[in-house]
Amino acid sequence: MNRFIAGGLVAIAVSLLAGTANAETLRVALHGQAGIDAFTPTAERIEKALGVDVEIVEYPAPDKDYMTKLLTELAAGNGPDLFSIPSAADVADMVAAGYLAPVGAELAAWPPYADFVDVAKQLAVSPDGETYVMPYILGIQQIYFRRDLLDKAGISTEQPKNWADLLARAKEIKEKTGAYGLLFPAGTSWGGGAFDEGFSHLIIGSSTPQLVGDDGKFDLSGKGVLDVFQFYKDLIDNDLMPVEPLLGPEPWVIPKYEMFPKGELAATTCGSWCYIFDWGRESKNPIPDVTNVVGTWADPGQESGEFVLAGLGAAWAVNAKTANLDIAKKALLETGSVDNQIETASRIGNIPSSNAVQADPRFQALTELVPIQAAANHGTYLKQATGMSVVSEGVARATEALLRKETDAAGAQQILIDHVRQTLGDEAIK
Amino acid sequence: MVLDAFQKRRERQMLTLLLPALIPLAILTIYPALYAVYLSMTNEALTGVAAAKPRFVGAANYFRLFSDGRFWNSLFVTFVFVVGSAIIGQFVLGFISAVALRRKVYGSSVFGAAILLPNAAPEVVAGFMWISMLAGGDHATLSKIMIALGLPWVDWLNTFPLFMVTMVNTWRGIGTAMILLTAGLSAVPSEVYEAARMDGANPRQMFLRITLPLMAPTIFLYMLISTVSTISVFGMVYALTRGGPGNRTEVISVYIYNQSFTAFQLGYGAAGAVVALLVSLVLGITYVRSLKVNV
Repeated sequence: MNRFIAGGLVAIAVSLLAGTANAETLRVALHGQAGIDAFTPTAERIEKALGVDVEIVEYPAPDKDYMTKLLTELAAGNGPDLFSIPSAADVADMVAAGYLAPVGAELAAWPPYADFVDVAKQLAVSPDGETYVMPYILGIQQIYFRRDLLDKAGISTEQPKNWADLLARAKEIKEKTGAYGLLFPAGTSWGGGAFDEGFSHLIIGSSTPQLVGDDGKFDLSGKGVLDVFQFYKDLIDNDLMPVEPLLGPEPWVIPKYEMFPKGELAATTCGSWCYIFDWGRESKNPIPDVTNVVGTWADPGQESGEFVLAGLGAAWAVNAKTANLDIAKKALLETGSVDNQIETASRIGNIPSSNAVQADPRFQALTELVPIQAAANHGTYLKQATGMSVVSEGVARATEALLRKETDAAGAQQILIDHVRQTLGDEAIK
Repeated sequence: MVLDAFQKRRERQMLTLLLPALIPLAILTIYPALYAVYLSMTNEALTGVAAAKPRFVGAANYFRLFSDGRFWNSLFVTFVFVVGSAIIGQFVLGFISAVALRRKVYGSSVFGAAILLPNAAPEVVAGFMWISMLAGGDHATLSKIMIALGLPWVDWLNTFPLFMVTMVNTWRGIGTAMILLTAGLSAVPSEVYEAARMDGANPRQMFLRITLPLMAPTIFLYMLISTVSTISVFGMVYALTRGGPGNRTEVISVYIYNQSFTAFQLGYGAAGAVVALLVSLVLGITYVRSLKVNV
């Protein structure tokens, strides 16, 4: 009888071992089908190169829900081994929370990293001077406008010279076409987008273009912040931007996926991904001949200047508490491969960080992205600091109050300051 | 009072019998509630420095909560939501359904099944189903009906958000109200009605003088259950509107979630949860005490 039981146990053990081809399993968090499709070939390469099983776990979308689940799991100590971080504003806080493993030494010793554009490397460095993420793709953002609509109405498509010019252009669009003239993402429903895809476009060209001082403290009482909120207020008060959809649960859907393709919205901030994912070949509602029909303006400065906003695009990071630290770090390097950069670019539309892609015919075939990649080195970005995700939430709350016409620009600035002060404490803010 | 050996043994036996219920209650309800109180006095967060090194902040979260207009808005929205859906909508329609079902008329069983059907769908599924009906645009079910009638479509969830959320919760809760109130109605002896009829009472008098007084314990037990459970409704509202547009449907549960899991401030969110718990407790105690209902 004992032999029978022992034999059974051995059979079960053998069958369990046979069920997994490799001894280790790397758990990778991803969200959105496009992201999963883009990463799947890389997962196969990791399995082959490192002899591990890669389990892709689909997390909830959109970004806000993804971050909620990811942070909850990391806080509980059962997070995935490898994951991407949708917003650069979250990186410094995740570092401060102790969730991310440092990878600076590994990146420095990894030859392909030398080909990465400087702006990507700079963006990857955290306030403590260490690098915790693989900056494999960039979000290069500008203002995208319906060239066909403006041409038809006889409105200039030249680069606006400053904010006043941009506002005047939006008013002209409204008067001559009836379409909303300009959209800057705003409000709490958009999550990090209110900051990354809205506020940041304006603050970098304002009179106080950085929110973090040399001492690492936030300076949110600057005139630039006030002026940015005043710009929002002007757009809202003059009915130049669609407000009601921004207050709904998925605020990007109606303006970006419906109004812009229909020509009911003439200009919006967006990243290179809009040419592929939002309105291009990966879109459910594509705009035919999108690169000709939709033009781009750099973000004009408040008085003068042109700015192209650069940010980390869903940078990869390793869980500091993973049991597979060495393997996860090696897998992280694989996420920075040229192959993964191009596969991600072709699916989602972000810009590869490595200049090596320029020599690759697969990237050259992505004609929408080639000129943007070449210009990536001139990108401007906001200095990061611990607490930036709180600032991002504060901007969302402040712009929400503007959308609801509950306050003016000074009130919105105060909402931002109060939120940051109440959350981070007096010591975090000047 | 001095207990003799028999009484002491009996108390121990009763305690032993209660333990299987008390242990899970202590672990899954009382401990988390006490932990929430502790958490509400810290700056614990899901990210940032406070995630790694949370510190004790005393009552700071509560001071901040009471000065937060969005918190007061959520309490007001919750009040309207509870009164509208639980107390008025579900109770009135559930009571009408219960009374109607007592009469043996053709199709009453089908009617009863139809009323209970909404409970078969999980609340998030029900929420998404209602989005497909109430959304703006040409494709939503209600829009198609409006267009077929020659009327312009309406984005119901954005135009009348709180009313719509209240209506959907009413739709979902009628079945539960009907079951509870049917049980209460069944407990009213038919002899009382027969005696009243012989005394010449009309249906209105019988309803006001017999049905309602004898149903009072059941009604207020239902009120207690539905009020507390409606205060904690989350999934359906979150699926429908996420608290929007512009916080217009941000009930207290959604407010707590937003503070804890989208702004990542666990301590502050816990302060909101403690206040919600206290509100529910006060309401519950008020119902029980003022009406002397044995729960």
